[in-house]
Amino acid sequence: MRKALVFAALALFAAQGLALEPKQAELEHNGWFRYTNQSTSFGITNPDVSRFALERGYIRLSYQWSSQFFTKFTLDFFSSDKYAEGSTVRLKEGYADLALPLKDFNLTAGLQKHYFGLIYSWDYTHPDKSLADIQGIAASADYGLTVNGFLPGGLGELQLGLYNGEGYKYAGKYVNKSPELLANLRLTPFAGVMAGVSVFRNAEDHVAYKNDVAAGKLSTDRKKWLLPDTVNKGRMGLAPVVKFAFGPVSLTGEYIIYNYTREFGYYTADSTTGKIVDSTRLVSEKRYAQSGLDLIPLVSLAKRKFDVYARITTWERKEDGTRNDAKSSLSYGGGFNYHFIRREKGKPGLALQVAWTRNQTKAEGAKPTDTFIAQFRFEWAQIVPEFIAQ
Amino acid sequence: MKRTIAFAVLAGLAATLFAAEVLVKGSDTMLNLTQRLAEAFSAVQPDISVSITGGGSGVGINAITNGECDIANASREIKSKEISTARANGVNPVGIVIAIDGLSVIVSEKNSVEKLTPEQIGAIYRGEIKNWNQVGGPNKKISLYGRQPSSGTFVFFRDAVVKGEYSVAMRQMNGNAQIIEALKTDEGGIGYVGVGYLREATGVKAVAVRNAKGEYVSPLDEKKVEAGLYPLTRPLYQYTSGKPKGNARKFIEFELSPKGQEIVKQEGFFPVTSDYQEHNKAALGK
Repeated sequence: MRKALVFAALALFAAQGLALEPKQAELEHNGWFRYTNQSTSFGITNPDVSRFALERGYIRLSYQWSSQFFTKFTLDFFSSDKYAEGSTVRLKEGYADLALPLKDFNLTAGLQKHYFGLIYSWDYTHPDKSLADIQGIAASADYGLTVNGFLPGGLGELQLGLYNGEGYKYAGKYVNKSPELLANLRLTPFAGVMAGVSVFRNAEDHVAYKNDVAAGKLSTDRKKWLLPDTVNKGRMGLAPVVKFAFGPVSLTGEYIIYNYTREFGYYTADSTTGKIVDSTRLVSEKRYAQSGLDLIPLVSLAKRKFDVYARITTWERKEDGTRNDAKSSLSYGGGFNYHFIRREKGKPGLALQVAWTRNQTKAEGAKPTDTFIAQFRFEWAQIVPEFIAQ
Repeated sequence: MKRTIAFAVLAGLAATLFAAEVLVKGSDTMLNLTQRLAEAFSAVQPDISVSITGGGSGVGINAITNGECDIANASREIKSKEISTARANGVNPVGIVIAIDGLSVIVSEKNSVEKLTPEQIGAIYRGEIKNWNQVGGPNKKISLYGRQPSSGTFVFFRDAVVKGEYSVAMRQMNGNAQIIEALKTDEGGIGYVGVGYLREATGVKAVAVRNAKGEYVSPLDEKKVEAGLYPLTRPLYQYTSGKPKGNARKFIEFELSPKGQEIVKQEGFFPVTSDYQEHNKAALGK
């Protein structure tokens, strides 16, 4: 019975387990086969969201060139009704890792983890994304240069990064012109408590609007056409994070504060015909202040085969000091994971994940939205022995 | 009659469900030693079953971090990163030293080389010295044998002796016994094993290794190893989640008892030295 009461499954550090040794290569595959259903008050099903999908299909190849130098390359093959092509592929990771003279510290360059808030340690124990990712504050990966490492005596870890700032999704003309500066600190002074904070600052972030995006009416017969040079200025994100883990129970949480000023560039156009009636480039600004709390209590049972969890999330968005009720919400729900085979580094894993979330926006009269996710998650990794004997 | 059978079945079921079991996982170097200790422990505590598996020190530490065992065997010290990971999961890894190992560099008994410096051994394993005649031996190509990367011995030997990267020509063996078996038939071979594995080994011999004082010392020289004069000694750890308690503590206390330490010697390892005894007292909260 005592054995059944082992502790929480929300492993904070994805990198735990065995590291590769020089000349070793590792091949890894992660696949998530997911069904999502979204409905309003259990009534109208949202066809844009309700679908089967191969939500993730990571193929990851890592190679330890020497004790000082490591590279990782990950392609994500994913498929969903959401995409016209049915399936697509994107580069998820691609970086080189160089050991620094300072013990346990590395320099990492390339497309890598974005060390902001819980994104950094998010291992999808809950099948949905972390709060910062859901709200579009920070992508889970980004191009950048980071120094990251572990403090002596198991005290914690530290990351300092210089990122592109717009994540891995944008390319070409939307690639950021000003870098994002990021710092992430996690402290583990004693067992059962992890506390930390992430902060980023980004002077200017270009938004991927196109000329054909309407941005609201100027008057009854005039409306804005947004220009592609719309920018978010002075982006600042702050996220204190905490985890308590005692026996089979853990509580993970983060509080996010995100502020910026959006500068709109626009023309005015006829609201009926859509034709530009005044080609003078106009500018307006709006201040955004967003904040939210995400709490995930979890209990792991039956020798960590079974996780039961809840999730409570709040989000508030203010525009020029006034709350945008349609974009402020309270979410709550819960779910469970059944691990047929518990994933360990270098070994296969297979899990069934089921989660339900009810999201209620603060707009008057708005009906709650219910999202149900069920997915099989299968993962394996194998050190490639042929590389060793070369 | 039915009642008796039902009672017996229930009693058996209860005994299975609530059987006192200590799960030990990790270092392959410590596998035989711990198994032997467990056998002796079961003679004095027959109601406590001790189950032991290998896999390497990293595997054991990972298992204690994830709550999958009671004791992690590790032939190296836990890393800062591993402590941090464990703490975040609510585990405070506490290490007890149960024995001292004199890591032995071995060659075929037909090889005329009797002694080496740590620098020579390092150069051999980095692939810079390729023939025995470069270190006073026969004109024979050197073939390298070592452990797999999940092994604490692999890590200890790399950090203490190789001081760089292993040659890609090194054959990675799954255990100490496999290295000894390979060297029995390979006159040009060199390997490293825990000293306990030399106890009954034939066809191989340990070379003396030069220490900081310039003295060549054999890992089989018990007094000099215990005096800290053999350069390749290392403590063998057992990690628990917090201070050892319950049945795991009973097993560890048995290992540290005079009877347990006698078994350590019988298995070819060395008893815990006085400085590590102090460390253990603090770790056990005595």
